[in-house]
Amino acid sequence: MSEVALAKQQPVRRKKTKIEFASIVGFLILLIVTIAMIMPLGFMLSTSLKTTKEMLVFPPTVIPKHFAWDNFKELFVNEEIKFGRQYLNSIIVAIATVIGTVFSSSFVAFGFARYKAKGSQFLFVLVLSTLMLPYPAIMIPQFLLFTKLGLHDSLLPLILPSFFASAYMIFLLKQFFTSIPNELYDAGRIDGCKEIRLYWNLTLPLSGPVIATVAIFSFIWSWNDLLAPVLYLDSQENFTLPIGMAAMLSSKFRIAPWNLMMAASLLSVLPIIVLFSIAQRRFVQGIVLTGIK
Amino acid sequence: MRMKKGKLALSLTLTFGLIATGCSSGGGKEGKESKEGETVTITHYTIDSPDRTFVEKLIPDFEAKHPNIKIKVTKAPYEQFDSKLQSSIAAKNSPDVTSHWGYGGFMEYYNKGMLMDLTPYLTGFSGADYDIPEDVMNIYKVDGKTYGIPLNSYVTVMLYNKDLFDKAGLKYPPTDYEDKSWTFDKMVDYAKKMTVDSKNLADAQYGVDFGFGERDQRPQYFGANVYSDDTWTNGGKPSEIRLTKPEVVEAYKKIYGLIYDQKVSPTPAFSKSVSGQFGDPFLSGKIAMSVVGSWSLAASSDFSFNVGVAAVPQGPNEKVRSVLYVDPLFVLKDSKHPKEALEWIKYLITAEVQEKSIELSGGNPPVNQKAAEKYYNNFEGIDPEQIKQVFEGAYKYGFESYNHLISNYSQINELFINELASVENGDKKVEDALPVIEGKLKDLLARVNK
Repeated sequence: MSEVALAKQQPVRRKKTKIEFASIVGFLILLIVTIAMIMPLGFMLSTSLKTTKEMLVFPPTVIPKHFAWDNFKELFVNEEIKFGRQYLNSIIVAIATVIGTVFSSSFVAFGFARYKAKGSQFLFVLVLSTLMLPYPAIMIPQFLLFTKLGLHDSLLPLILPSFFASAYMIFLLKQFFTSIPNELYDAGRIDGCKEIRLYWNLTLPLSGPVIATVAIFSFIWSWNDLLAPVLYLDSQENFTLPIGMAAMLSSKFRIAPWNLMMAASLLSVLPIIVLFSIAQRRFVQGIVLTGIK
Repeated sequence: MRMKKGKLALSLTLTFGLIATGCSSGGGKEGKESKEGETVTITHYTIDSPDRTFVEKLIPDFEAKHPNIKIKVTKAPYEQFDSKLQSSIAAKNSPDVTSHWGYGGFMEYYNKGMLMDLTPYLTGFSGADYDIPEDVMNIYKVDGKTYGIPLNSYVTVMLYNKDLFDKAGLKYPPTDYEDKSWTFDKMVDYAKKMTVDSKNLADAQYGVDFGFGERDQRPQYFGANVYSDDTWTNGGKPSEIRLTKPEVVEAYKKIYGLIYDQKVSPTPAFSKSVSGQFGDPFLSGKIAMSVVGSWSLAASSDFSFNVGVAAVPQGPNEKVRSVLYVDPLFVLKDSKHPKEALEWIKYLITAEVQEKSIELSGGNPPVNQKAAEKYYNNFEGIDPEQIKQVFEGAYKYGFESYNHLISNYSQINELFINELASVENGDKKVEDALPVIEGKLKDLLARVNK
């Protein structure tokens, strides 16, 4: 009995060993890929802690000889850089853009998803066709409009358009909203729910994953946007992070302050990492449910 | 539920309101339509870089001396300088004063009709009053009309790594342009002695990086011209392209021969490896001599090696040994206050302000020759007399940068960069690449100079 048991156990043990070996290989591959992916980040961190002189040394040092923590302080105290102000401006614009995009786009998407009227399909295609318009095509008319409204050199031209919905987000949200069963809406109506409450109390609470996706996308787009801020903003106190960081490399007459640039880059990716880690589960769920990759 | 809805509406309104009041600076241009005696605002548009934005520190003094004129400085990063300027002009929101600090040059601005003719406002104005040499003043004149007032004048210099010279036991190159023993061939000989042509990046070092002007101007050093002579008199529009002429082909062979025949200059791959995408490989300490714009001097105190400055060696062209980069200030055509804009420009070129600007900018070379003395004393570890000698020689044997003189230069320059990349990388021969560039350049000029 025991021999039989041993004979039976052996192949199992061998199989187990095979799995472990495969796991080790897989783990090693993953480790190599991870190191390769982390290396630029490591280089960024290392450069951010170097002095200007050490930054120019070739071959570059991996670990700085003297940790120049002052680089981070320099970003905030240097009057020529105004990094703190730019950081705050970027946060204001990104948060306001997220609020604007989520509410306006979800409202429009709700209409397209729930109501069938004559020409609604045509209107939807019309909205989608605006996706084909590159920003430079509407740049000058929009610039003229906001200048006439006296909003030039303020953050409003960067925020206001998000309150008039985004075609891409409407498409994303509509896909999700159409998947919510009609029976739920019927039940709501029977219970005396008005249309606006069907949107507010039923659709939005059921759409967490897609709302998280829209919020993250619009935050990242706004956070990284350079062209529109360059166009509208003139004064340094109104600049957002992308302009401020591009300006660090502006002068061909000086050595580019790569150490400060890397310190600024590290700080600028923080909000996106924080946002993504908070909303990660819902974000992935949203991508799976809407089929967006 | 109604309460919640109300709260939401209130918070949205507040968010909007706060942003609107907190972020808006009022916008619009103050004083645009002001009458005589009223305060006007002049917009000075510049790249967002400390060596340009320092003018903000001069504003209180200027405004105290000119109570009727306010100065507003607007900025954009270098890469976006041109696009923002074009958009502002298209939207009738053009600044008053600026320069060609982006990719475009004077002739491009001039041919696009962006610049105001300053001649009617310059009665009684003379460059000599501001110690600006006559030939420098003439650079921005077309058909006798003045379109720009010079502000800073950079030249091409040779920087060398003293440590590498000492290690090789070589004498430092001279600063005197009249010392005719300092020739291109001698430079190549020196370069050979200091070159370590190794595949190992840590061991490799090169003798010379010959960055004389932009790629289309480089043959000028060898006495060959890519463009016909009428280019300099007809608004920067060449009637003939001479890229396939034997002397031009020979010049390019000499330039790229430094990399692949003589092997004394770094390949683009080496340069990028030691200095990143846009950096200067000379800063890595692995290049012995670098022919470069004098702006590189401004950072000399940050170099990790001892640096010296020398004359660009005598080449086959006896008249041209340096490229001049004279940065002017323009008044844009849509400016409603050219007189006041000109007052601001005049203030910036006075000896006192130019001297102050050297310090504030971190080393911008003044166009005012009275202030130049102070500039020569500005560089730690380099003898002021040597810098003075190099600058004076460069002015004497200088030719203005093509960038400032040729129309639609940003497109032309991009074509040269893209098409010559295969030659620089060693994938194509000069004689194969030049006919292709000539064809494309002719097409481009026919299109843009219609």
